[in-house]
Amino acid sequence: MLLEMKNITKVYGSLVANDNINLTLNKGEILAVVGENGAGKSTLMKILYGLEKPTGGEIIIDGEKQNFKSPHDAMHHGIGMVQQHFMLFDTFTVAENIVYGKEPKKGSLFFNRNKAVEIVKELSEKYGLEIDPTLKVNECPVGLQQRVEILKVLYQDADIIIFDEPSAVLTPQEVSELIKTMKNLAAMGKSLIIVTHKLQEVMDVSDRVMIMRSGKFVKEMPTSETSIEEMSFLMVGRRIIDKEVKEQATTGKVLDIENLVLHGEGGKNVLDGLSMNVEAGEIVGIAGVSGNGQSELIECITGLKPFDGGEVRLLETDIKGKSVGQIREAGCACIPEDRYLYGCASKATLVETSIMAHYEKSELSSHGLLKDKAVKSFTQDLIDRYDVRTSGLSQKAGELSGGNIQKLIVAREIEQNSPLLIAAEPTRGVDIGAIEFIHNKLLEKRAKGDAVLLISSELSEIMTLSDRIYVIYEGKIAGEFRRGHVTEEQLGLLMMGGKADGSKEN
Amino acid sequence: MEAKKTNYFVNALKTIWDGIKQPVVATFLGLIVGAIVILIANISPDINVGILEVYAELFKGAFGSGYYIMASLTRATPIIFCAMATAFAWRAGYINIGVEGQMIVGALVATCIAVYMPGPGIVVILVSLLAGIVAGGLYALLAAWLNLNFGASLVIITLMMNYVANYFASYMVSFPIKDNTVTGITAQSMEIPADARLPRLVTGNTIHFGFILAILVTLFLLFIVKKTIFGYESKMSGLNPFFAIYGGVKRAKVMFLTMFLSGAVGALAGGVEVLGLKYRYIDNMLASGNYAWTGLQAALIANLNPVGMFFTSIFLAGLQQGGAALQRKVDLPLEISTIIQCSITLFVSVKFTWNLIKKKKMQKAIAEGGNK
Repeated sequence: MLLEMKNITKVYGSLVANDNINLTLNKGEILAVVGENGAGKSTLMKILYGLEKPTGGEIIIDGEKQNFKSPHDAMHHGIGMVQQHFMLFDTFTVAENIVYGKEPKKGSLFFNRNKAVEIVKELSEKYGLEIDPTLKVNECPVGLQQRVEILKVLYQDADIIIFDEPSAVLTPQEVSELIKTMKNLAAMGKSLIIVTHKLQEVMDVSDRVMIMRSGKFVKEMPTSETSIEEMSFLMVGRRIIDKEVKEQATTGKVLDIENLVLHGEGGKNVLDGLSMNVEAGEIVGIAGVSGNGQSELIECITGLKPFDGGEVRLLETDIKGKSVGQIREAGCACIPEDRYLYGCASKATLVETSIMAHYEKSELSSHGLLKDKAVKSFTQDLIDRYDVRTSGLSQKAGELSGGNIQKLIVAREIEQNSPLLIAAEPTRGVDIGAIEFIHNKLLEKRAKGDAVLLISSELSEIMTLSDRIYVIYEGKIAGEFRRGHVTEEQLGLLMMGGKADGSKEN
Repeated sequence: MEAKKTNYFVNALKTIWDGIKQPVVATFLGLIVGAIVILIANISPDINVGILEVYAELFKGAFGSGYYIMASLTRATPIIFCAMATAFAWRAGYINIGVEGQMIVGALVATCIAVYMPGPGIVVILVSLLAGIVAGGLYALLAAWLNLNFGASLVIITLMMNYVANYFASYMVSFPIKDNTVTGITAQSMEIPADARLPRLVTGNTIHFGFILAILVTLFLLFIVKKTIFGYESKMSGLNPFFAIYGGVKRAKVMFLTMFLSGAVGALAGGVEVLGLKYRYIDNMLASGNYAWTGLQAALIANLNPVGMFFTSIFLAGLQQGGAALQRKVDLPLEISTIIQCSITLFVSVKFTWNLIKKKKMQKAIAEGGNK
């Protein structure tokens, strides 16, 4: 046995994040650690990677007891981690990024750039991870950037590689590449731990799976002896019901965009004559690799960014030149793509977080004064009805877990009761239970006859929820489909700029 | 039940302690630094006093008797205004360090009106303070406008406008409104008539009605912060401007109103100092008094909390007052108290830096994959 974590316990104040967890890993094995957000899997990995010290328990590698004080120590003992958020220098080359921290030298002083390129070439050949070492990182697509991260870990001679939510930012094609890579690495004798809550990937790639819930160990078994249904049941502690979305008639355009143009830097249009619409009573999904104009599209519709050409109509209002407040008033609410950038202020209390864009309503304020009791009961009501786990109204937004603050933001925006709801990455990085909850809320909104514009890099989310799907590529609509008339692979191809042969409706 | 109650009590104490531990520890450390400096300054053989003796004198000089307490409160008055003025802008994320300039503009305008406007005293007082407020507010607004329209850094503009205000006031009291009734070279305005002065609160003491106004301004800020939509909007703008804009908060409106209020309160500091204590504008008197900077330090130490700033301002004023007493009684330089004051501010800001360093270190460790 290569690695053994024995009776690991980690306590933060009154919260037990890891309760007596045991984990074992063999050479050449791929272990999936799954669980909802807050189940304690990240904490466990942080302990293994030396970022956190356990309250109790021990880590044994190759039969030797270890005491990691920092990632430094962990790395020294052959543990590497491919982070979910890449830690790369954008303007440096692939080779420079990979050798960073352990550079080949010319003499004892100067950085040997040519040697670095050579090393990276060798490395990429050895592990079958093709890459051009001289490319700048910001010229690489996300999938390649992840490959740089993997090579970096390999360069540092890691035998145990931890992957933290590795597929979160990838397209379906990139995911299947990644799965190949991981299997290949395992075949070459590396041991992998994959932290994820995507169960299909667990089935595809892992040899063994370990399930955690609320800081506790639930079950461990060979992947071949389990199923997605069983795993999701064990993770959540109850059955997740597959969604049946009923057909429903639409009643007129709520959002109508024609030839929308937004200039970017260097003469290239970020939005390049984009046309689309959303009708009342439907969910319209926009699928695309991030960075193809989705964020800018939202910014244009919500008034955060003035656009350069075309027309955007929200019901009867032409929103060109209107302020964010005016557009909200005209009937648009928005669950923002980045909950910590636009969705909240991490030092604001839950009350302050909840009343944003609500506070001018007469129930909550009059004559410029906030009604203290009313804003508190309003917040409490959102928290109760949307199942937000908190320790009290004066808690700070930044202290809630990602899933919980997301639920509060979703609550705030849905309760605007606006004809149009923009939901951008509404479930990014939240756990299965919260995903199910948020999806149900979006469907309720649709059932009420409102329009929902869903923007997500999660294709399965788009496919389950949307009545219609647009594919966005380089600021243009590359395809439009009705529910059930397209496969994930076809969408993936269009998202990468390919053509979906013959499958295109309309 | 009993146990639960004690628990609540302990928790409440813990919350309060969490809020004030940084300033308290910083004060303690500041006093230690002061002690070291005193020891060094004390080397000369003709003065020989113990540290505790020095601090006892310092305290006596600040709050040791009714007279000294009131002298400290007099000195605290403009500092309180300046702290509030700073907080108004800073909590909304607008780093206004031009409170001194706004204070000078307010003082100058108030002086001109109080000296030259005829009419009953109460009217003159009201008009001159109000005119000062408006002038100071507009002066701050100018900085906001420059920032919004030309993207000029607010910090730099407001800082530079301090000098503009001070030199302009120098010019005014050197030529147009110079007091020519006395011979001599002092650049100062005429004295304002007796009925246009703010009343003293205690006869034979310097404390004046301005202190009451300072309390009112503190309550006003507290009210804005806790109760109003504007207070909410400006706080959110300060905590995360993107969040505020996304929620429909009008950035320009909040910025202009914030800066105007900040400048207005700063100007009131100047007007009140003239009408309540100095009775004329003397060249450079506000800049050399360091009121605005002391107020800024009070705001930093109290983390922009209105009540905290009120008491911190009094504490710092006492420190300065006591420092003057030290010079008289034990022949230690006045700068001792300045050193203590600055050390405290420094130790308060250590917290921010420390957190920052910890974060940076962690990121670096991750980026390197822990290898060297």
